[in-house]
Amino acid sequence: MATQTQGSGAVSAVLMAGLAGLVVSLGIAFFNLMSGGHSAFNTGSDGVSWGLPVVNYVFFALTSTGLTLVASVAMTFGNKAWYPIAKRCVWLSLVTLVAGFASLALELGHPFRMLWAVPLNAQLLSPLNWMGIFYSVFLVLGILKFMRIHSGDWSSGTSKQIGLAALVTELLAGGMLGMAFGAMAMRPMWYGNLVPLYFILTAACTGGAFAVLVTCLTYGGTDKMPEPVRRLMQGSLPMAFAALLGLTILVIGYRTVIGLWSNADGLQVWDAIVASPWYWIEAALLIGAFFLLLQRKALAVAAVMVIGGFFIDRYDFVIGGQLLPLFKGSWVPDLIAYTPSTTEWMLTLLAFSIAFFGWALGEKMLNLGAAPQD
Amino acid sequence: MAKWGMVIDLEKCTGCQACSTACQMENNRLPGENYQDVLYYTEGRQPTPTLKWFPRPCMHCEEPSCMHVCPTKATYKTEDGVVLIDWDKCIGCKYCMIACPYGVRFYTDEKPLIEPNIKQVFKGDGDLSWNPPYKGPQQDPKHGVGIQPNGVVSKCTFCYHKISKAPKGTADLDESNPELVEYVPACVRTCAPKARYFGDLDNPNSQVSRLISDKQGTRLLDHTGNKPQVYYLTGGGAAGSAVPGTRSNKKA
Repeated sequence: MATQTQGSGAVSAVLMAGLAGLVVSLGIAFFNLMSGGHSAFNTGSDGVSWGLPVVNYVFFALTSTGLTLVASVAMTFGNKAWYPIAKRCVWLSLVTLVAGFASLALELGHPFRMLWAVPLNAQLLSPLNWMGIFYSVFLVLGILKFMRIHSGDWSSGTSKQIGLAALVTELLAGGMLGMAFGAMAMRPMWYGNLVPLYFILTAACTGGAFAVLVTCLTYGGTDKMPEPVRRLMQGSLPMAFAALLGLTILVIGYRTVIGLWSNADGLQVWDAIVASPWYWIEAALLIGAFFLLLQRKALAVAAVMVIGGFFIDRYDFVIGGQLLPLFKGSWVPDLIAYTPSTTEWMLTLLAFSIAFFGWALGEKMLNLGAAPQD
Repeated sequence: MAKWGMVIDLEKCTGCQACSTACQMENNRLPGENYQDVLYYTEGRQPTPTLKWFPRPCMHCEEPSCMHVCPTKATYKTEDGVVLIDWDKCIGCKYCMIACPYGVRFYTDEKPLIEPNIKQVFKGDGDLSWNPPYKGPQQDPKHGVGIQPNGVVSKCTFCYHKISKAPKGTADLDESNPELVEYVPACVRTCAPKARYFGDLDNPNSQVSRLISDKQGTRLLDHTGNKPQVYYLTGGGAAGSAVPGTRSNKKA
């Protein structure tokens, strides 16, 4: 079974748009950061310490986890119908992780110090530490796996073992990212032992969305797709995606109701989240995408809706957990005002640009539509 | 080895902010970044609202969540019970600020609270965030003491540059003792109504231990399990002083 990438004009357009986004975002972000340091962000010690750059990181790191899950359907769990998008997903999982890392690196006070300070002084009790280890190990394993399948080795014992190890490390990394938030008992909005599961579930959704979107962009529509790809995109993929998305919508709904219902101090933020139009935009996007997927229609549109919806969800989660002052003398349960700065938005543009530029470059140069010959 | 701790008598505290000012001068802090702050808030509703205040340094917890989450062990606990930050190891990830239940950690690369930006008026040398016209002689990045460098997190050190030089076996660092006054944390030394006490929590004969025992010292947000080494005396709340457990919930 072989699937040759056709390479639609959309790939070239995305390549150029991604490059333009990279130049613009890097230019503005570096200028602002070099001239004003992190005061170019709207984060603060008395309020939101983790701002939009961390939202970007969480979004893209979990998307990487989700893409690895999608790739594993064929490569680890043996469903051969999913092979036509497997190589693309492996490549994109690497690119999205780099996109997330880039946003995070520009948010850290000393990103280069991290390179020696973490290995030499690793705090084994810190979820952040383990998350970094697992994502770094995945980056190596993911590159090795991609090199294997790029050279045609899809199913040797070594290739499969690397793929399985990559999947496990990605799941552990995504789970650890969930634990980084879920372990914070002092912030009830985040606290909970099921947060890692929530992260992995939602990761699968964004991973699926990116996989569908870039596949549609590659071929320029289902009618132009090679038969194996078209069968997948009109068959099991949208159904599996819809089932996963439907389940996730339910979980988001339950989280919201629990947040609104409970009296625990810190959960008042749910009132503000639900009062915001963004919450309802997220709901409309996700529910709309669910029905589009069920009907197997406008898959690219559905994918964009899922990406948009979950970006809002990540924002609400990361920022919402910090909006109530922990201990600032504000006895009235008031909310901290936070709006991302231009520099922070530039890091969002940077992360998206890296992801799409990287994908388009791979599509042009690395035959991402390849699949095993048998 | 002592286990340093602080007792703050809320019945004596007048909310004068002398502690905050002394801390600010001692540790080169800027507005909005005070290691030691007095929080003001109101309780009750019109027509009988009450203005209250609450002094709040770092709690130097026995089980500091900020330390456990730090990926580089930049936040650590000394043998004498003080939670410090090694600025040379801090990568500025701010996870400790997220994990501290008391909100007493500071990242200095932020928009200034007041204009003009004092950091721009007195620009720092090298990596230092600013160059205060008056500054203490101490600059000890391994213990997070001195002018805060850019890109790292800072916090109250219990004036570690002072208390670490105290004679071994000292039970209480009492500012009224001329032999010990130079080792007393700035906020304790300057407290006009003498509402603050500093000493060895492991020594049952220290004044802090006796005050905690005799006057039923309580700890802030004890339910978090961090076990602060800062205790508050409330007099049972009879005089209106109390350690607030939590905010009023949304149904209040």
